Amino acid sequence: MGRSHQMKTNSNGHYDALSPWADVDPVSLRGISPRIANLVGKKIGLFCNFKPGAKPILSVVEAKLKEKYPSIQTSNFVFLHNICIDDSEEKANFDQWIKEVDTVINAVGD
Amino acid sequence: MYDAIAEEKRNKPAVVLVNESFAMDAESAASNQGMPGIRIIPQSVPCECSVPEEIEVGISAAMDDIVAGLTRPLTKEEKSPKPKEVEKTPKIIFRGGLEEVNQFYYKRGWTDGLPIIPPTEESVTEMLTGTELPADHIVGKIIPRSGKATVEKIAINAVMAGALPTAMPLLIAGVEAILDPYSAFGTYGVSTGSWAPFWIVNGPLRHDLNINSGSGALSPGDIANATIGRALGLIIKNIGGIRKGIEDMGVLGNPGKYTLVIAENEEDSPWDPLQVERGFKKGDSTITLFFPQTFNQMLAYGTDARGILSTVVYNANPCQTIGGFNCFIIIPSHAKALAKKGWGKQEIKAFISENTTAPFYRLRQYLYGGRGIIGKDSSLSLALNPMDPIRLIQNPDNVMIIVAGGPGAFMASLHSAGGLPGNSYVTKKIKLPPDWDNLVEKYRDIKPTYIRY
Repeated sequence: MGRSHQMKTNSNGHYDALSPWADVDPVSLRGISPRIANLVGKKIGLFCNFKPGAKPILSVVEAKLKEKYPSIQTSNFVFLHNICIDDSEEKANFDQWIKEVDTVINAVGD
Repeated sequence: MYDAIAEEKRNKPAVVLVNESFAMDAESAASNQGMPGIRIIPQSVPCECSVPEEIEVGISAAMDDIVAGLTRPLTKEEKSPKPKEVEKTPKIIFRGGLEEVNQFYYKRGWTDGLPIIPPTEESVTEMLTGTELPADHIVGKIIPRSGKATVEKIAINAVMAGALPTAMPLLIAGVEAILDPYSAFGTYGVSTGSWAPFWIVNGPLRHDLNINSGSGALSPGDIANATIGRALGLIIKNIGGIRKGIEDMGVLGNPGKYTLVIAENEEDSPWDPLQVERGFKKGDSTITLFFPQTFNQMLAYGTDARGILSTVVYNANPCQTIGGFNCFIIIPSHAKALAKKGWGKQEIKAFISENTTAPFYRLRQYLYGGRGIIGKDSSLSLALNPMDPIRLIQNPDNVMIIVAGGPGAFMASLHSAGGLPGNSYVTKKIKLPPDWDNLVEKYRDIKPTYIRY
């Protein structure tokens, strides 16, 4: 019967056990974008995700940046969905927004 | 993290602020998504913090790192990261006695903490009799690691869990459900909310596998209910690569992650079963997946329609959150009482959606005056009085009703707080191999026979 067959050991009373860990294909890696030289006069994007803790964090970040760099502008993008922006209906809005900023600070909320 | 990657792909330099305890999780996500150089800024603000002073302190300490993250020139590795060598595990990973195998697998982080059955070539071959798909057929790649869910790897994990070969078609359909974007596995599988996969089986396969839909259906003691959920949990861990405290950031965890499997009692239900509601035929066998956080049992206020429905709406949402998804398990006697008075599943769902309310003052939106709640929801804090009732389940489609359970007067709800708007769930048809009847016959008598004492 199946169960006794399943528990079969080799001649030494040992199990030759197979790996449950999956193989993966190589991931093609991509570098990150060149940084801006400094923040003076730049437009900083503040990307806020769906978690309630994200917005208050970005508000403090924004205030502190403006204190240190009075010439900067900020622009908020609030994305309340718990999915990737590229899979969402807001992708087009995001594409427009991202064109208008020089760099982005993301807050997750945790 | 995925949003920052989307920004970088559009050639915008980005940084991500995360609580310091989530730095490893964020690095793992960035690496799995092929952008290991993403600049992650750990900060000490408590998760979901609502105390302004603590946010001020945590962000003040991180400001220099934030500015540096946006302006410091890239290193060579950040510009062009070196490809990681692909790990290739030998087919036979360990040779030893029962305890030695168990200790080896446990130490590698491949178990759920309970003993496993060693997956030998013979036992896996037997498991593969449950499908006509070839062993190397790839059902899909499970995130976050994008591990290849071959039929063989599914079978290996199924053996480890103690599943019978008759579970294979269901496990393959379960993997398909995980892979379906509408299951939102990518969020629920790893989130701090500790969502556990809840598997509902419909159709003739319930009887072939002796999946319990009656007394104690969600308690231990039935090999199918116990091992199917366990096998899928091991598949998530060993193929998807979700490890506790690294990718799975569930704050408290969830005992449902050991196994949470039920069959619907279609024979004793006065209503269409779940798979018919989902567009399948009554003769189709299906598996449905959604991710609840809580399991709540309620003693019915009464056994008439009013008593049953009052119990449901007054206890439907233990988390007092707007949205989410709710599954109600109605016992057959209650289902019949409701049907007798003309209540169908759709009418009940509409009733629940209309009447499951909480006074505004109980919601977090009230307590924090809308801070952190953006967009539409902020109107809640501006326009309403503390005692105003707020509908917690605004869409009847976010309610599922199944019939199961034994004699008695309890009912249950499984609630998924928050999560995706219009919380989604998926149903997959289970495909059976041609010699299915013989296989079922072979394993049919494997069920407990309790002696009287």
